[in-house]
Amino acid sequence: MSIMEYNGGSVIAMVGKDCVAIASDLRLGNQALSISSNFQKVFPVTDRIYVGLPGLGTDVTTLRERFRYRINMYTIKEEREIEPETFAHLVSSTLYEHRFGPYFIEPVIAGLSKTPSGGVKPLIAAADLIGCLNFAKDFVVAGTASTKLLGVAEGLWEPDLEPEDLFETISQTLLNSVDRDAFSGWGAVVHVITKDSIISRTLKGRMD
Amino acid sequence: METSFALTGKGYVIVAADTTAARSIVKMKVDEDKIKEISPHLLMAYSGEPGDTVQFAEFVERNIRLYQIRNLYPLRPSAAASWIRRSLADSLRSRSPYSVNLLVGGYDTATHEPKLYWIDYLGTQVDVPFGAHGYGSYFALSLLDRYHDPEASLEEGLATLKRCVDEVAKRLVVSPGRYKVKVVDKDGVREVEI
Amino acid sequence: MASADGGAYSYSLTVFSPSGKLVQIEHALAAVSQGTTSLGIKASNGIVIATEKKSSSILVDDSVIDKVAIVCPNIGLVYSGMGPDFRVLLTKARKSAQAYWKLYGEYPPTKVLTQEIATVMQQATQSGGVRPFGVSLLVAGWDNNRGPSLYQVDPSGSFWAWKASAIGKNMTNAKTFLEKRYNDDISLEDAIHTALLTLKEGFEGEMTEKTIEIGVVTVPTLAELEEGKIGGETGRPKPTFRKLSEEEVRDYLAL
Repeated sequence: MSIMEYNGGSVIAMVGKDCVAIASDLRLGNQALSISSNFQKVFPVTDRIYVGLPGLGTDVTTLRERFRYRINMYTIKEEREIEPETFAHLVSSTLYEHRFGPYFIEPVIAGLSKTPSGGVKPLIAAADLIGCLNFAKDFVVAGTASTKLLGVAEGLWEPDLEPEDLFETISQTLLNSVDRDAFSGWGAVVHVITKDSIISRTLKGRMD
Repeated sequence: METSFALTGKGYVIVAADTTAARSIVKMKVDEDKIKEISPHLLMAYSGEPGDTVQFAEFVERNIRLYQIRNLYPLRPSAAASWIRRSLADSLRSRSPYSVNLLVGGYDTATHEPKLYWIDYLGTQVDVPFGAHGYGSYFALSLLDRYHDPEASLEEGLATLKRCVDEVAKRLVVSPGRYKVKVVDKDGVREVEI
Repeated sequence: MASADGGAYSYSLTVFSPSGKLVQIEHALAAVSQGTTSLGIKASNGIVIATEKKSSSILVDDSVIDKVAIVCPNIGLVYSGMGPDFRVLLTKARKSAQAYWKLYGEYPPTKVLTQEIATVMQQATQSGGVRPFGVSLLVAGWDNNRGPSLYQVDPSGSFWAWKASAIGKNMTNAKTFLEKRYNDDISLEDAIHTALLTLKEGFEGEMTEKTIEIGVVTVPTLAELEEGKIGGETGRPKPTFRKLSEEEVRDYLAL
């Protein structure tokens, strides 16, 4: 039994045209026994950044609270909202601080960063449990269904998807991947971040 | 073996826990109360490592009481549950962690809603309509999936609880004999018989 | 307690005098005003900080004295007052910048670093067993968020943003001079000349590349920003603060 699979759960993020999407399932279990179908593991950081925290349930909550604290302090001190690149480094260093007694979480970050000319640039990243960052151009996955997510995303994703098409792609990728994973599923939540709005939808999934 | 259940209904939370105190294969006591009334509108059922359970429950009880004395009002259920979770999460990575699983049920007097939190010894916390700990959970959760109704009256809620208790008595080899059942609603906490 | 030296209140750092003053801090400011003049000017496309470098004897090898210092690639410092105190602050500032880099993968904005230095200086006015720092600082830097900014930090730990300011000996005269010369759309080149002219006002001896130090902040162009903040093979960000070499200073003095 791996501690990373104890509670189950998966997260995926994808890049679109001037938008990014992040989605997760909603299951929390004790190994094979499901406890809840409403366990959130994706959280807003700013108006343009979301972070997904799949892994051990207790650490999902602890890390979420830790990041909330650090982001609040950052926003007050710097008198501005954190940028996705900077947040990714913050995630990485927070995890590496616990190199020899880690939080059992593999975070996924999705955000839009500001470009010097006033536009937006999509950014997604994933990290392992000690904070090794992986910035990707297309999609990143994590959690108990990560292997399945990788395969399905490889088949469905294409470059420059508009927000609604990206929503459909990430939703189908997640729902179909978690159906092949006993530890993920039980409903899903999807957020699409665009320049001027965020689309958040809760999806029904198979309950078996 | 130790079992506890809890379910929400229309304006109330029912919390039930078995009353056996066992050591190895021997029942030492059959009238142990494992549900603490930690504030006027908050109940906490605890189970786990003998010794840790009572120690941790009293630690929680006294801290929640301290908050009420200092601030002249009690913590709301969500805040109390978060505080308890953080205590367990900190304890998990300490030299001697507590092995205690909890069901925290309360009535939020600000929003007039019943609230129930499932918390385990790792500090995993989740807001649930119903929950269970121990071997009984393997039987009770599927039953509650079928019969739980968040709008049920107290009588209906107690009938659903009875189903769970009976199912565990019927199917579990090491089933506990008796349960203590407590209810929390707008009028506070009280014990009921099933 | 109306005696000229501050009386019984002048020794304890943490006791207010009846007039509401912390006398040790006043003394620290006196130490600063005996130090050599330093100044900073914010131009439309950058910042210049400059100082006079004075040696007590011609036998001192002044090529190894540094009064304008780099904290991190985007921020520089200059001081007036006690050299040894400045070195301590500089080390702390550099460490703070590196700690910020380790956490966020980028160097701190000027304001955040200034605040950090100011906190250190404030703590020296309230802690036991220490004395206030005998320096005033000018912090010049560039960052994505606020662009070029110039701050002054005093021994009390208070700090302000300036368009142009001067510290140390002759600071009052220098400030009056700057007030007359300053306008909002001055270019960096003009600002450097104004800085030299201002220093000249109270200068004792000859102004040469050996007795003047200059640091400049240059604002990156939009194209440079689009290119990204990581420059070259080193993986280090392209510096926006740099010290002028002796040759460059000589060229400016010649004009």
